Amino acid sequence: MESYAVETIGLTKVFSDWWGRARVYAVDDLNLQIRHNEVFGLLGPNGSGKTTTLKMLLGLLHPTRGHALLLGGHGSDPKINARIGFLPEESYLYRFLNARETLDFYGRLFGLSREVRQMRIEALLDMVGLKAVASRPVGTYSKGMARRIGLAQALINDPDLLILDEPTTGLDPIGTRQIKDLILKLSERGKTILLCSHLLADVEDVCHRIAILYGGKVQAQGRVKDLLQQTDKRQIVTDAVSDAAVERIKSILHGEGVQFEVSSPMERLETFFIHTVAEAQQQAKPTSGAVSTTQIGDFLTAGARKGNILDTLVGAPEAEPATVTPQTEKVAETEVPRREHDKDVLRELTKSTPAPTEQTAKAETPRTEPVETKDGTDAQRVKKKVLDDLLGRPAPQEPKEQGERKEGDSGHA
Amino acid sequence: MRRIWAVARNTIRQALRMKVAAAFIVLLLILLPILGLTVTGDGTLKGRLQTFVSYGFSLTSLLLSFLTLIVSVYTITSDIEHRQIYTVVTKPIRRSHLILGKLLGVVTLDVALLTLFTGIVYGAAMLMPWFINASPQELEEVDRQFYTARTSLVPPELDVSEEVDALYQKLAKNDQLQQVYPNYPKPEIIKQLTNQKRLEKRAAAIGQRLLWEFTNVRPLDPNQSLFIRFKYDVSVTPPDEQVYGDWYIGDLRQLGAGPELATPIFRATRKDAVRSFREIEVPAAAVTADGYLAVGFINPPLNETVVIFPLEDGLEVLYKADTFTGNFIRAALLILLRLIFLACLGALAGSFLSFPVAILFCLVIFLTGTVSGFVMESFDLLSQNIGIIYTYTVRGLVQLLPQFDKNNPTTFLVPARLISWTYVGKVALFMVGLRAFLLLLFALMIFRFRELAKVVV
Repeated sequence: MESYAVETIGLTKVFSDWWGRARVYAVDDLNLQIRHNEVFGLLGPNGSGKTTTLKMLLGLLHPTRGHALLLGGHGSDPKINARIGFLPEESYLYRFLNARETLDFYGRLFGLSREVRQMRIEALLDMVGLKAVASRPVGTYSKGMARRIGLAQALINDPDLLILDEPTTGLDPIGTRQIKDLILKLSERGKTILLCSHLLADVEDVCHRIAILYGGKVQAQGRVKDLLQQTDKRQIVTDAVSDAAVERIKSILHGEGVQFEVSSPMERLETFFIHTVAEAQQQAKPTSGAVSTTQIGDFLTAGARKGNILDTLVGAPEAEPATVTPQTEKVAETEVPRREHDKDVLRELTKSTPAPTEQTAKAETPRTEPVETKDGTDAQRVKKKVLDDLLGRPAPQEPKEQGERKEGDSGHA
Repeated sequence: MRRIWAVARNTIRQALRMKVAAAFIVLLLILLPILGLTVTGDGTLKGRLQTFVSYGFSLTSLLLSFLTLIVSVYTITSDIEHRQIYTVVTKPIRRSHLILGKLLGVVTLDVALLTLFTGIVYGAAMLMPWFINASPQELEEVDRQFYTARTSLVPPELDVSEEVDALYQKLAKNDQLQQVYPNYPKPEIIKQLTNQKRLEKRAAAIGQRLLWEFTNVRPLDPNQSLFIRFKYDVSVTPPDEQVYGDWYIGDLRQLGAGPELATPIFRATRKDAVRSFREIEVPAAAVTADGYLAVGFINPPLNETVVIFPLEDGLEVLYKADTFTGNFIRAALLILLRLIFLACLGALAGSFLSFPVAILFCLVIFLTGTVSGFVMESFDLLSQNIGIIYTYTVRGLVQLLPQFDKNNPTTFLVPARLISWTYVGKVALFMVGLRAFLLLLFALMIFRFRELAKVVV
């Protein structure tokens, strides 16, 4: 078996003018190694060469120099293509086909038999919540709906490697969340996923490793945790405790002589949104909710059955589930274990200073060394700096500034 | 193959649902019946039928040609332009198979539409006598001169090289060459002199006679008719634009051999319009057992002009060799071959040009192809001044042009002329086997190696 799921060796794309003079280095000497069963995020601002890299990987553009390997082969080899699912930056669909025909067409391109096609099409339509509108031409779909059918299209062959270019653009928060959950589930099932995005929250939630591109070059690369963890800070999260207890902790910390902050953690907006919608759903009668007009209704129903589609895709027995779990329960179930992590992310994004939590502290222990990082504090700092740039944080993180920031934040809370 | 067919199906859907094809289909469905009702030709049933089939076929052929070009170019350029190609070529299908699939879709659509529309033309042509309540005489006439497929024999070209040489020498000796043919190269002068000599052999001065002999005349059945199809040209046009002619048809070698005739000789004196096609019908019994037939023409003194039979199509002998239906099917096949060529042309243009440019490119080739005879002649004339450079460059390209005008099926159907399978095979070989194949090969090469994504930084 090939050593990496995706590998680029000195990959370079130069766009030349008419006379052949080099104009722009869209991708410059890119060396990426994505291992099997890894969720890898390719990040970068607009025009940083992410999509160009993907296009070269898939054989849509020819590299000026270097090589791009997918699953050990070339991206234009049908044998390799048969194991890849690709969602381009926009779902470029045939406007005149309806959703079912669209999926059928792609299924045929994979040479799938009629039974397999039909089974997968229905399961995928269910999953992306488009069953009710499956016989409408996709040209009449909204952007989010087109995105969903695009995703279904990328999954129809049960790919070993899934390449997603900005998968969540145009999707509502629930759709976004579902894609993230899907990515995690697929990863659990041994798939490799290459995710290309500039929506950092998405990447942070699901990726094991990331690389940040700027000007066609990798500026930082490594495990998400390694890159983001602030080893010089700690965070303690507790249930609501009495003021007295807080005072005692404060006094201990004063004794230690460290700066600290006490506040109630904010719920993440995404979580809040999903809860709100779920509650609204619950109030309506279940039947009308499932069939009803709103996209969200269909979609949540589909979300509850997601496990099933995944099973069928990976070839488990194709039995229909005997009972469909009530949708709200399911949503709640997926929410709970994730909430803690989400909060961290939310803090990170809302520019609050995250004190290191127990969770992250634990994660320190099984620390695997970053794959190809040339460690050293300088390098780390550079990476952080780039991250900070992207997050819109002020570049030099002076502790003093953070202190001011804290107060502002806690006051808000 | 399954994947190619999947692409083909998609292409057909695209053509039908994007209303490109629909517009043409509706147009034809409206125009063909209208044509059937309104054409009158020269007023006779035969003229009506000829005009209708000619227009109907030309219209079908023209509109389907445009449709083929548009669909084959659009299906490729639109995939690239709208980037559906990203999700298609990243599936396990070879790029060449993608193009082949698209072509298959276009050709399948063509076959279906061609069957539909030629079917309509055929049906209307068969029903027309009933529809206009034709007289029995008219019915008989169209039976023999329209609802049939006749093979044609033209008199062999005469070898006049000696006479031409002699004439050339004479002109050269008398220093008249420069006067008559200023600045002409020798081959061109020879060509003109040859034509002149040949035409002389087909011109009858007042009171003179002309004789053509045909061998290997093999009518299907001695009870059927032969047709002498001719066109007069004249040196002085008579006031009523008609000339007299005495015709003798049969084994004229028997004349003077004795009173007993083995095969009948037919004589006709008639007055016909000049510069238009006329036919004389003669029983096939005039042909001898070994397939010999002679046609004699006397320019009677009633005329006050020289009568000339033009070189190209001045005179031929026609006789029934197949049924109308068979001929009609082969005529439709000729159109299909043309459409296949155009589909490949569209694929080539679409493989490297954007839609409007590709369409323009294809239309130029298409229109040049429909007047290929004229184009070639013009280039040949030009070549005398450019010479060798032309011979090795433009000429090759001009030869590669399709010659739609030469194998236009209406030129066969209107005079009920046989389109032989050999002829269809020849057109298939040159138009599809050679020209279309080359185009397709280029298209596949270009498409295989080009970058399908646009550069976005």
